[in-house]
Order: sequence, then C-alpha cells, then structure tokens
Amino acid sequence: MSGFMRGNVALMGKIFILAMVTAILSLLTEHAFVQKEYAIGSFILFAIIALNFTYLTKFSIPLKFFVPGILFFIAFVIAPIIFTLSMSTYHYQTGNILGKDESTAQVLALGAEPDAAGTTFDINIGKTTSGEDAILVSDIVNNKYFISTQTSRTEVPIDALTLNADKVATGAQGFTLLSADALSKSDAYSKINYKYMGKYYIAIEGQNVGAVFQQSLSYNAADKTIRNVVTGAIYKDNGRGNWAKVGAPDEMLTPGWRAPIWFENYTKLITDPKVRTPLIKVFIWTVIFAGMSVLSTFALGLLLALALNRKLRGRRIYRSILILPYAMPSVMSILIWAGMFDTEFGAINNILHTHIAWFSDANYARGAVLLVNLWLGFPYFYLICSGSLQAIPTELQEAAAIDGANPRQIFRKITLPLLLQILSPLLIASFAFNFNNFNLIYLLTGGGPRETLDGQIAGATDILISYTYQIAFGNNTQDFGLASAISVLIFVLVASISMYGLKKSKVLETFG
Amino acid sequence: MNRKRLGLLGVIASAALAISATVVPAAHAASEILIWADETRGPHLTTLFADHPNVVPGSTIKVVTFSSYDALGAALDKVTGTTGPDIFVGGNDWVTKMAKSGKLAPVTLTATQKSKFAATNFFDLSYQGKLYGVPVDINNVAMVYNTKLVTTAPKTYGDMVDFYKANKVSKGLKAGLCITGGGMAWGGLSGLSALGADPYFMRAKGVPDVYKGFNGTTFGNNVKKYLLDANGKSNGFYPATDTGCADNFKAGLVPYATIGNWEWKTYEKLGFTMNFMPVPGVVAGTYGHMFGSVNGAFLTTYADKHGVAVAAKSLLTNYFASAAGQIAYEAIELRPPANLDAQASASVSDAQKNMANAATLAGIPQIGAFLGSNAGGASYWDSSGGYWTAVLVNGKDPVVEGKKLAAIWKKNVAVGKADL
Repeated sequence: MSGFMRGNVALMGKIFILAMVTAILSLLTEHAFVQKEYAIGSFILFAIIALNFTYLTKFSIPLKFFVPGILFFIAFVIAPIIFTLSMSTYHYQTGNILGKDESTAQVLALGAEPDAAGTTFDINIGKTTSGEDAILVSDIVNNKYFISTQTSRTEVPIDALTLNADKVATGAQGFTLLSADALSKSDAYSKINYKYMGKYYIAIEGQNVGAVFQQSLSYNAADKTIRNVVTGAIYKDNGRGNWAKVGAPDEMLTPGWRAPIWFENYTKLITDPKVRTPLIKVFIWTVIFAGMSVLSTFALGLLLALALNRKLRGRRIYRSILILPYAMPSVMSILIWAGMFDTEFGAINNILHTHIAWFSDANYARGAVLLVNLWLGFPYFYLICSGSLQAIPTELQEAAAIDGANPRQIFRKITLPLLLQILSPLLIASFAFNFNNFNLIYLLTGGGPRETLDGQIAGATDILISYTYQIAFGNNTQDFGLASAISVLIFVLVASISMYGLKKSKVLETFG
Repeated sequence: MNRKRLGLLGVIASAALAISATVVPAAHAASEILIWADETRGPHLTTLFADHPNVVPGSTIKVVTFSSYDALGAALDKVTGTTGPDIFVGGNDWVTKMAKSGKLAPVTLTATQKSKFAATNFFDLSYQGKLYGVPVDINNVAMVYNTKLVTTAPKTYGDMVDFYKANKVSKGLKAGLCITGGGMAWGGLSGLSALGADPYFMRAKGVPDVYKGFNGTTFGNNVKKYLLDANGKSNGFYPATDTGCADNFKAGLVPYATIGNWEWKTYEKLGFTMNFMPVPGVVAGTYGHMFGSVNGAFLTTYADKHGVAVAAKSLLTNYFASAAGQIAYEAIELRPPANLDAQASASVSDAQKNMANAATLAGIPQIGAFLGSNAGGASYWDSSGGYWTAVLVNGKDPVVEGKKLAAIWKKNVAVGKADL
C-alpha cells in the first residue's frame, strides 16, 4: 500500500514538475515567436519535446540525468559561440543593426519629406458615410475646410460644419468622428496618406494634427533600387548593408542593415593599423597580466600554505583570516581598492604621504591591477595548496631527509614537482580565468589610462576582453561585428593555451 | 508510446495549459503608452501621470523606471522594432546613435509649437534634419560661489585664480573651481571654454560654424598662466577630476563650483545662497560656454509597431511640449522648463529661472553629431577629460596638448556636419 502510494505520489510529483516546466517553456516559446525570435522559439519547442519524451518514455535512463544539462549546454555555451561566430562575419555596428526589410521600410518612412512651408493643419479623425477612413481638415489660414480620404479630397462649405471658438471644424455633414476609445483601439487610420494636392498628402501627426508631406523616396522592386523622386538620385545595395548613391557611394541612406561581409572583420585585425596596433599591445599585456597573476597568487598562496602547514600557535585564526579576502564579494573588494588608490582621497596615498595618480600613469595602473588581483587570488591558491600539501605522502619527505636532503632540497625536488603535477589543471584554469578577468579591469581602471589625445582606443590596462567590450559598447559607434571577431580570437587563444597546458601536464591522460 | 503514456502526456499538456493561463502576464495593451525613464525622472513621471491620467484621450500611460541613467542607456541599446518603449525621456546623448540605427521615429511640430522654444533646442534632438523628440527641460550647469568665502562675483577667470592663491593656505582651500554636476566632460565644458577651448562655435543665427575651431596655442597658454605653477605643475585651482568636489564645496573648502540645474535644491537646503552665473572668461564680460542643452521626450519606431504612434505623438506634442505639461512636470522635476511660456510662468521658481538665464547667456546647443564623432581620433566626451589628465596630472605641455585637442575637435566637426 505504502509502496503504491509512494509510486503514485512520485508519479504525480513528476507530472506536476513536468507540467510546470512545460507551461513555463510554452509561455517562453509563445513570447519568442511573437517577438519573431524564431530560432529561440524553435529551440524551446525542441526542449519541451525532448524533456517530455525523455521523462515519459524508457528510451534511455542515462538521458534522464543528462538532458537538462545538455539543453543548458546548448543554450548557454553552444548557441552563444555559434551566434558570436556568425556575427563576426557581419557588418554589424551602429547604423547597421536592423534586418534588411526593416531597414528599407525605415528608409522609405524617413523619405517622407514635409513641404517647404512645413504646413500643418488641425484635423479630426473619423469616417465618411461609406465607412472609409477620413480626416476633417481645417485650413484656418485660408478659411478652407475639407474631408480627405486616401483617394479623395472634398471641400466642405462652412454652413455644413460645426466650428469651435478657434474656427477649427469639430464636425461636418457626412463625417463621423471617431471616439477616443475607437482611436485608441485601432491604428489603421494612422497608416493612410490622406489626399491633399498633387504629390502632397496629409499624414496624421497626432490626434488633432495633420502635416503635409511628399514621398521623396520610392522603392523599385524590378531593379532593386531606391529612387529619390525629387532629386532623381538612385540608391543601390552596396553589399555592405547600406543603400548607397550611384556615382557617390559615400552618400548612404540611413539606417543600414546588418549584412554579411564574411572574413572582413578578421582581415581588419591584421590589415587595419588602427585595429592591429592596439590589439597587439593589448594582447601582450593580457598574457603578461594573466601570467603574472597566476605566478604571484600561486607563489603567495603556496608560501602561506607552507608556513601554516606546520604546527603553529593560533594557526586556525590565521587560516580564517587568510580566507577572508576570498569570502568577500570580489566586486566590493575591487571597488574598495579603487577608492583606496584614489589620488586625492585614497588611503594609500594618505598612508604613504604621496600624491601618486595611480590610475593616470600606465605603470602605476598596471602595478595596481596586479596588486589587487594578488589580494583577490592568493586565498584560492592558499586553500588549494594547503589541501594538496596534505595529499603528498610524508614518507617521501622523510625518506629524502634520511638520505640527507635539506628542507630546501626537499621542497624543490619533491614537494614542488608533486604539487605542480596536482595543481597544473588549476594553474591553467586560473590563467584562462585571468585572461578574461573582465570584472577586475572594468571596475578598477576601466581599462585606462588612455592617451585619448593621441587617438588611443585601448587603455594601458585593457585586456582583450575589456578591449572587446570597449569596441562593442564603449563608444558612440558600437562595432559588434569586430568585437565578435576579437571574441572568437580570444576563444581560440584560450582554448589553444589550455589544450597545450593540459596536454603537457598529461592531466587528460590521467583521467582518460 | 502506449495509451497510458499518451494519457500522461495529455494530462501534462492540460496541466501546462492551465498553469500557462494563470501565469501569462497581461499583454502590453494596445491603448497603453509605455514610457521609459531613469531613476530620477521615472518616479516624477509616474507621479505626474497619476495626477494627470487623461492627457491623451482613450489612452493610458505606463512609466517604467530604470535604476540609473546608464541602465536606461543599456536598455535602449537593446531596443528593437518589436520591443521597447513608445517614448523615453532623458538627455539627448542617444539621439545620433539611435536615429542612425533606425530606432527613433520623427516627430512633426506645428509652427506655433516650434515658436515656443529657442531655435537651438532642436539641434539637440535632431539627426540629419529630422526631429526625433520634443524639448522638455533645460539641461545645463551654472557656476555658483560660496558667499561665506567670496563676497563679490568674479569678473574674470583671473579674479578667481587670484582669490584662490591668496586664500589657499589661510582658508585651507582644496581647489578653486571644481565640477559638482555632470562630470568633467559635460559639466566641465565651461571650465575649458572659459580658457578658450570650445568644441564648436555658433553663428549669430543659432547655426553652427562648421569651419571655425579654437586656437590650441592660446588655450594652452591660458592653461599655463592660470592653472600651472612655475614648475609647470598644477597649482590646484582646477582639479582634473570631479571626485570629492561636491563634498569640498559643501564643506567650504572650494569657493567656486559648477553645479547641475538638478542640484540647486540640495544646496539651497544646505543654506547656500544661490548666485548663478556662467564661468567668467579671461577677459571681463566674456563667459565660458556651457551646454545649454535640452532633455527630451523621444518617439521610438516601436510606437508604430505597437499601434500607439498617433497617441504617443499627441502625448509628445500636446502635453510634453506644452506650457501646461512642462509647468506640471517641472513642479516635480525642478529643472528649468524648455517651453518659453512655461519658463515665464509664475509657477516656476526663481532658481529655475536663473538657471535658464545662465543658459541663455552662455549656453550652446549640445550637438551630438559633433560631440559623439570620433573622426579626429576621440570624441569630445573622451578627449576633454583626457586633456586635463595629460596636463594637470601627467605634466604634459598644455600648448602641445591644446593643439592636439583643437585638431581632434576640428576634424570631429568637419565629419560630423554630415549628420546635422
């Protein structure tokens, strides 16, 4: 009986959880499709099917454990990599954000030019007796009143109108005003170009305002060009996401769209000196920063671990204190350090009785970055080294001591090599982490200092990832395509370094 | 799949649908105008529209407040044609970037509506000749002096430097003039301009002079004369950063400060007598320019997709741009209204009027096409602070750096004029 109950309760629980997850995912799918995010919508739909199939069938028991992880892995690792790779082949920057159709529609919408006088009228929105959308227009200056639809314009005599104190028509025979409620429930009337004179039309620019426009740009589907009907200029797709003027390719219509340019962002990294020069400098500093950070944190952590590996009075207290920097949120620590390095009010200058502009000088700023990273990173290596030291069999050290080795020799010949063998994967992981240590750089120095007057984009403490951020988000012109290309480069570099390190340390073989 | 499992799937599907129905959020109603604003403007707009809910007949207004100005900017970066606000209220910083990317929709004002604003107000809200929002309030700074330290208004920049040098030790002054509001680039323009560095010049008719640049040598020599000591190091009158400026000014350790027009209430509460003036230039009767720009309410392309473009345009032109709307809003926001009728209204405080007067006396429009351009190697926003760091912190030659600054800004204007 109890077994039966347990089985049923478990089944009910499974159904309930699965239903909840399916409900939430269905909701997300619907939102994604409404937002026209078809790839995301399709993936969530796939996830719903995969989850229900896995947990409602006995197709594969291991899959029941793996499927959530696999779905998260696809969503948050594989998909961003594919998206970044894809975007790195696009001309995707400020001014080239939209898709081509949306961009072209926007270009044509912006092609509506007001008449030379900037004429505007008081209008009322309504319908004719035949039910056609119409506006009742009051041309107070010329004392004329007319009803305009998309195809006709009919003058209305004053005696057929209701006028207010400002001589604005508020009603006319054959014209029914739309109520406020009706105005808010539909916007079909706002998409219409109401007939005015010749090439000019009236567009609704508010519930009571109409403005006179002419459409200066028109799209020719036959030869896929845009023509300015006023000037006669022809604009063609320049293959880089813009409608460019024939004969004057630098004159382009805005907005543009994101267009594939294949490997241009990558070649730019090599051929464009404005990109290449800072990139090389940033790369060198990134390697130095990551290397120095790993070495310094490891060295200090190991030193402290060795010191506290022996019996010592108050050892527990020391150990607790040493872990504190690690226990504190790094964001807080970094911001406190930033305050301490302040030139005018910082504790460091106050204590040293100096007036060093820590973040305005390249060398001081780099020193500060390494120092703060040492503070943040050594407790980790202290913990790891402490644990690893316990794992090294004491017999080896005792045997060496019996053979006459002094403590320094024992450390250099036995302890350190064994430690390095154990810690190699962690050292490599730490290098990879520091290679992309965005938080530290962004919060402490913002990548600076930069010699902006000399046109420097990259700062002295910028690492590749903060430099990428600067390109993608830091300027008025955001170049997502180029930033994606650099991200791919970072990925390749970190992956190569990690693979080389892992191969050298034979860690994979050990676990393989 | 056997019948039992199909049954289970049916149960799950039914349960999922039932749960979905309870958790589906109310769709963004078609008659609701969605406004985005930052952490200061957002609550004020919420209050405003709670008190005036029917300003657009048939439509309701919802205000979403972001935690900071930067958070609003980051959210606006992600706006697409299928999602976003219908209107956002804020500075004009994003006009060029957003209009260039097709995220803003143009707005048409009637001739009468236009006449209610200074013509230069529209530069700040335009891109390639099209207006993308309506001016809401003036965004400017003004210099104030601590009347407990300084008894008379300075006539020249030199007067301020002389006062600082004479009283630095005896009164323990931390600086002579500093920037409390708007940062070193935006708020600090008057500090640069008073010594001769302007990012661009305006012609008499409110049209930018795209061919004229400032003289880097004259500016550099002024910096040398007023801000450096005999050894070429900063004399401490003008700090290179705004860190601590507000605290020092409040503590009576800085005689002159440039404050933002959103800050005056704070200083008034602290007992400061408000003596607003632009930063005096090196010659009596001249003043450093400041950004007498306007904050705006902007229309997005999403409003059209969302079906509220007409209602949103009505809200912009009939309320945000109107004297009545601005008087009501500025009674909460406390900035000088941009609408000239609202400015003249008895409902607007003297401090707001004085701030507006300072902008009239020395304000220049904030032209994003020039300021955001980095054709010269760096935008105005990056290079202005860069000059002070180079000269006042790193001890570089003020004339050499001044020439670099002049060259950068001249090129930025030359290229940026295409976006006017």
